[in-house]
Formats: sequence, structure tokens, C-alpha cells
Amino acid sequence: MDPLVSIAILLAGPLLVGLSMGVDRRITARMQNRRGPPLLQPFYDIGKLFSKRPQMLGDLQGLFAAFCLTFQAVAFVLFAFGGDLLVAFFISSMGAVFLVLGAYSAPSPYSYLGANRELLAILAYEPVLFLVIIAVGINGSFLASEAPAGLLERIPLALAALVPVLVILLEKSPYDVPTAHQELVSGPYVEYSGRYLAMMELGRWFQLAFVYGVATLFVSGPDPLTNVAVKLAAAFILLLAAILIDNITARLTRRRMVLFMLTAGVGLIALNLIVLYASGVI
Amino acid sequence: MGFLDRVGARSPWILHFDTGSCNGCDLEVWALLTPRYDVERFGGVNKANPKQADILLITGPVTKKCEDRLRNLYEQVPEPKLVMACGNCASTGAPFHNCYNVCYGVDKVIPVDVYVPGCAARPEALIDGLTKALSLWEKKALAAKEVKE
Repeated sequence: MDPLVSIAILLAGPLLVGLSMGVDRRITARMQNRRGPPLLQPFYDIGKLFSKRPQMLGDLQGLFAAFCLTFQAVAFVLFAFGGDLLVAFFISSMGAVFLVLGAYSAPSPYSYLGANRELLAILAYEPVLFLVIIAVGINGSFLASEAPAGLLERIPLALAALVPVLVILLEKSPYDVPTAHQELVSGPYVEYSGRYLAMMELGRWFQLAFVYGVATLFVSGPDPLTNVAVKLAAAFILLLAAILIDNITARLTRRRMVLFMLTAGVGLIALNLIVLYASGVI
Repeated sequence: MGFLDRVGARSPWILHFDTGSCNGCDLEVWALLTPRYDVERFGGVNKANPKQADILLITGPVTKKCEDRLRNLYEQVPEPKLVMACGNCASTGAPFHNCYNVCYGVDKVIPVDVYVPGCAARPEALIDGLTKALSLWEKKALAAKEVKE
């Protein structure tokens, strides 16, 4: 892949994710019959967090936040430069583990509860995300730069399985279990403040950029312009689906989350792969 | 004046604390946060967490039982921070004049930036107070920086 294109993806990825958060808050507001914040609100929030004095309970907390951001960023760098999707996935899940470790490093019951639930969320979405990447790899290559064309026609159910993954990662109901605002205040983030909270949030942006990136591999256009447009549209449709689900459902229990992802999520991809195998495509 | 100091005024995360109010002002604060008055237009989100809050919306005359808790919450909020006394009770302790169990207003316990009068303080008045408080943000950010240096 052209290094310039890679650098463009690397810079645009997190910025677009930040913008998508603003779009998300705006659309959610319109669905609730209110005006909503400015489109750039997520960037204002991050900027403000960097200007505030952090109030931390220990050195480890900040260290884990930095590791969380670093690992997610490295995972996305790997993706942007056309690297191995599986390696990027494992590095990204290491970042998610550092989020949990950071929450455990603060002696606070809310933080502990949030960390326990975050572990369950990881248990729920990672097998599905892993299988999506396996499905992509079986159909061609695990290298992001050599993703085969026409994945959408071959494994449409894998793309559908990314919707609940996004719902969990975007912390939206029915699966906003780890950060359940009304029960746990903000779960694993509760003891974080200032620039360390901003680091955690940026880490989430990179992680989402990676997941959206996997989704964009499913579609492609003939020339560069339509290619970019189609890929952005695919990511936006996934986001819209997550927002719609968020606004029409209430939170379910953590047991339901894990059960749903490990049956319906894994089942969808397995069904797709079995059909492909039976018809002799793979 | 750094860009980061200005941008803070566009993202006021809210902590609402009831120090023994009759719930009149609390209902109005909640009206502020819900779709009709939608304070998220100004970037305001109810965080319910002192460590992540920027502006405290305090209601009630501050009972003696609440005094320490209010001070504790205030100390947990990282600088720069703003405090808004919502309603007559929070501003002066008005109807509780000479009462044995209250502190007569938020400013007897912690420094207050903006007083919003009213019984109960109307959401429109609260929005007015919020924007007035946010206009003080830059000054607060500078002051916090000086203290650090």
C-alpha cells in the first residue's frame, strides 16, 4: 500500500471517529426531540480534559491509561499500514485489558464493579470480532492491504455481527453494561480524571477506528473516490444501526449480553462460513 | 491564553448536589438536563462524578449534616472548577433564617461563583447562570495555572 495513503488513513481514522461521536450525540438528541451539542463536542471534551488538573489515586492508574492508548494506537497503525489483522486484533485486545487493569488499580468499589463488567464485555465482543477477522482471512488474506474484493457478497452475516460488537464498544444500550451510568456512574472510568481520562477516551477512539476499519474492508469501489465514499458509508450505516438500537432498547443484564454474543453473534458468522463451505466457495 | 483554556467553557460537565433542598430546585435542575431545556446544547452533561465534573450545581440551604459532605465533594473536583448556588436557599438560606440546623447558604461552606435566585430557580434562570458562570472559565483556568506554577 502507498505509504502516503497509510498516513492519511492513520490521521483521518481517529479524527473521523471523533466526528462520528459528535454525529452520534447529535442524532441521538434529535431522536429524543432536543437540539443536541455542537458536532465538534467530543473534541472540546478531550481538549478540556487535557487542561484540567488530574486527580489520581496512584501512579499505576496513569501508566495503565498510557498503555491503553499506546496499544490501541499501535493496533490502528498496524491496520492503517496494511498489516496483519490478527496481530492488530490481539494488540487491540491487550489495550482493552489495560483499561481493565487501570480500573482494578484504584481501590474503589464502583471501579471494581466496572472492571468486572468490562471483562465480561470483552468476553462477549472479542470472540465475535475475532471470528469476523477469521472470516475475512479465510476468504482471502489476513493482511489489511490485501483484503479481497466482494467480501460483502460472501460474508454479509459477519458484517451484521459487527453491529452488536459496535453497540458494546460504543457503550450503548442494551449492552452498555460496563459503564451503566445510572448504576455505576461510569464504571471503569469512574476514578479517572483530567488528561488520563482523555487518554482512555482517545484509546477508545483508536479501538473504534480499528473496528470501523475492519467493517470498511467489506466494501470497495472501482475508483479511489467512490472507494472512500462507499467505505465511509459502510461505517456510517453501522453507526446508525447502533444509534437506533441504543434509542429503542433498555439495558439488559450482563448475563444476557454474554449469552447473546456467544450464541447469536458467533452463530451468525458460523452459519455464514458453513454455507460458504457447503457451496464449495472456501 | 492557551486554546485549551478557552475550550473548557464549551464542555461543562455537571455535578448536581442536593444539600437539604425541598426538591423544588432539584426538579428544575433536572428540567435543565432533560430534553425540554437540553443543557447539552452548551456541551453540559450530568456526570454525577466529582472527579470528572467542572461545574457544581448546588441546591438547598446546606444542613449541618451536609456541610462536610459538600466540602468533601468540592475538594474532589479538580481545578479549574465553578460553583453555582441554585435557588434562594442555596444563595442565602432564605426561608431557613435563624434555623438551628442549617449553614444559611452554600457560600458559608465553599466559594460560590454565581448565585441564581428564585424559589424555585427557573430553568431559564439556571441556563442564564450557567452561561454567566462559563464566562468566568478562562479566568479560573488562568488562576489554576498560576497556583500550579
